[in-house]
Amino acid sequence: MRKTLTDKKPITAKTIFIMVAPFLSIGLLLFIWLLASNVNTELVPTPLMVFDRLLLIFKKPIGNMNIFGHIWASIKRVFIALFLSFSIGIPFGVMIGWNKTLNAIFGTLFELIRSIPPLAWLPIVIMWFGIEELPKVIIVFIGTFMCVVINTSTGIKLVQPLFLDVGRMFNANNRQLLLEVAVPSAMPAIFAGIRNATSGGWMVVLAAEMIGASAGMGFLIIRGMEFFDVPLIMMSMVVIGIIGAILSVITDYIERWACPWNKKLELD
Amino acid sequence: MSNKNKIEVKNLTKYFDKLHVLDDVSFNVRKGEFLCVVGPTGCGKTTFLNLLTRLIPPTSGDLFIDGTPADPKVHNLAFVFQEPSAMPWLTVEKNLEFGLKIKGMPKDVIKERVERIIKLLGLEEFRNKYPHLLSVSSEQRTVVGRAFAIFPDLLLMDEPYGQMDIKMRYYLEDEVIKLWKEFDSTVVFITHNIEEAVYLAERILILSNKPATIKEEVIVDLPRPRDFTDPKFTEIRRHITEQIKWW
Amino acid sequence: MEQKTGVRLSVNNIYKTFYSKSDEPHLVVDNVSFKVKENEFLVILGPGNCGKTVILNMISGLMERDNGDIELDGENVTSPNPKMGMVFQKMGLMPWKTVMENVEIGPKMRGVNTKERREKAAYYINLVGLGGFEKSYPHQLSGGMKQRVGIARAYTNDPEILIMDEPFGQLDAQTRYNMQNEVARITSQEKRTIIFVTNNIEEALYLGDRVILLAECPARVKEIYNIELQRPRDMIAPMFLKLRKEISNNTDLAL
Repeated sequence: MRKTLTDKKPITAKTIFIMVAPFLSIGLLLFIWLLASNVNTELVPTPLMVFDRLLLIFKKPIGNMNIFGHIWASIKRVFIALFLSFSIGIPFGVMIGWNKTLNAIFGTLFELIRSIPPLAWLPIVIMWFGIEELPKVIIVFIGTFMCVVINTSTGIKLVQPLFLDVGRMFNANNRQLLLEVAVPSAMPAIFAGIRNATSGGWMVVLAAEMIGASAGMGFLIIRGMEFFDVPLIMMSMVVIGIIGAILSVITDYIERWACPWNKKLELD
Repeated sequence: MSNKNKIEVKNLTKYFDKLHVLDDVSFNVRKGEFLCVVGPTGCGKTTFLNLLTRLIPPTSGDLFIDGTPADPKVHNLAFVFQEPSAMPWLTVEKNLEFGLKIKGMPKDVIKERVERIIKLLGLEEFRNKYPHLLSVSSEQRTVVGRAFAIFPDLLLMDEPYGQMDIKMRYYLEDEVIKLWKEFDSTVVFITHNIEEAVYLAERILILSNKPATIKEEVIVDLPRPRDFTDPKFTEIRRHITEQIKWW
Repeated sequence: MEQKTGVRLSVNNIYKTFYSKSDEPHLVVDNVSFKVKENEFLVILGPGNCGKTVILNMISGLMERDNGDIELDGENVTSPNPKMGMVFQKMGLMPWKTVMENVEIGPKMRGVNTKERREKAAYYINLVGLGGFEKSYPHQLSGGMKQRVGIARAYTNDPEILIMDEPFGQLDAQTRYNMQNEVARITSQEKRTIIFVTNNIEEALYLGDRVILLAECPARVKEIYNIELQRPRDMIAPMFLKLRKEISNNTDLAL
């Protein structure tokens, strides 16, 4: 059986440094942060002040919610948009990837629309749908939908001709070629689309919230700006980064579980 | 064994634009026969195979199976490609099932055939593994098993063992012979390796250079398992080599 | 004519262990020892993927060994040595360079002037039978021709020891026969010390003065054969076939 084997080099000073380096660089960043906050504590609060601000939100909620409330507000919007993107986008992507006619009809149209950044849609969406939950979900949907469709259709288009030939040789009809060969073959690409849509969606929702919301992580940042509450801004940024990383790890694991044959992501 | 012709190839000709690749090739294959086709490098053997599998249409001429024009919808055609073609997203067992599933065979038939093949090929320990974990030779054995599983009217093999070392190659060739006898399949095996052709075939067709025609037919009437040191074996090998040799 | 039979390369008791993702150790090279004599055509024969390339990488200094000595002309091998030239199975030609540019790359990296290195490259391009193809690009060449470029490239770098790592593995049987003839011709015209790695018994017997038969994973030396057949060798001659059978019976099956 084939296994991935690596050459284990002896532990030298260099390998130890490589292991420790990420922590060193984070430490360096913290250090620079501290130095900067020494210069101007108003503009650059210390890490400790930022942490305190996090604790403060629990004692004095903003907009009647503590931090988890705001995290959930943002995530909820992302999840709804993602659900719609996946359930509409994946089948749509499969169709335009597989069928040349549909691709001709929708493909170019799609390329044009996707070049418009989700945020450019914001004014129109607000005018049409107001400033409640719906427009924010729509904006995230626009961003994530494009990503899912592109990845899915590319995955389908790039199915190896060899496997299609195997199917044809066994006399598979068109439906069977699509469902038994093209779609399974495209799973890694589809999951790449899911992964990118999730992290992209997280970024878009924050921007959408910053323009008009009453809850959410983006809202907190704007609130911080309005009240010159710099610790609030920085605290929100740190939390946003952590949530983004967690989402990334989760989608990674889902991808590995769903595509156990994808050796690039081998879990051992 | 019936002497009726299972496969009839009549006047197969192929042009790619002006390039004349195949010229008026005609031959028959008996039911249950093991036929090898050899030719010099670049003679158009892949085109020849693709015509037989109906993956590309001939310019003129036709291929008949059991007297009717060959049609993947009606007949069972199986093809083993040169590069390993196991579906990476299916386990070994599911790969073996693949052709049977596409053809809509009943579940119990599928199960019985796949079990038989797993046993014959000794793939039990790989049953639930994905192809990327197997060696190339085991992957190819899975592909060969998958092809035999549908009890093909015609099984075409395109030099599937080209990259392997000689010992492995003989092992796999013995395995193909075992499968061929077990399922009484009709096999056309195409190769550049003259020794392989002499080892496997009951009959050998020698192709000429482009435009390819059938230069000669050689009967190999040696008992199995064959021995490459046997003077009769080497005589046939020498003869065919002389017919083809360009190097 | 007296030929030097001094030892150029001495490999003594080398070991190599690799690790899987879960840190399981796998012994890949197990106590391998052999010597390579001046101007001999030495073949390392082994089934499957048993570690032949790892041995080569350790000999050429591209990989560290866990244990044992490797000495080139008496000096310890720790890093790639310009005395060694390599021909790879995957050819490794740069697709954006012409044949001439690919072949002359060794001397070019060493700073040799254009006229000198072009002359040398041209000589070897002709020697391998590719005269007239100097300005062609790799994608315009067949597999056999690409491999000849690889050989010319290795020679042009003036190596004293040529290492060929399964150079014909990607070629079909007939092209392979052709290349074997070519290598036999080229190496008899331009004699060097050659270490040739293959999994093909017929090829080993056709080309080698001596054949080292390796066992399957972990790789260890099973037996060393002296091939005393007259050249040019005939693959269908009874003596050749007898020897082939003997080695085949001694070879492991790498399922």
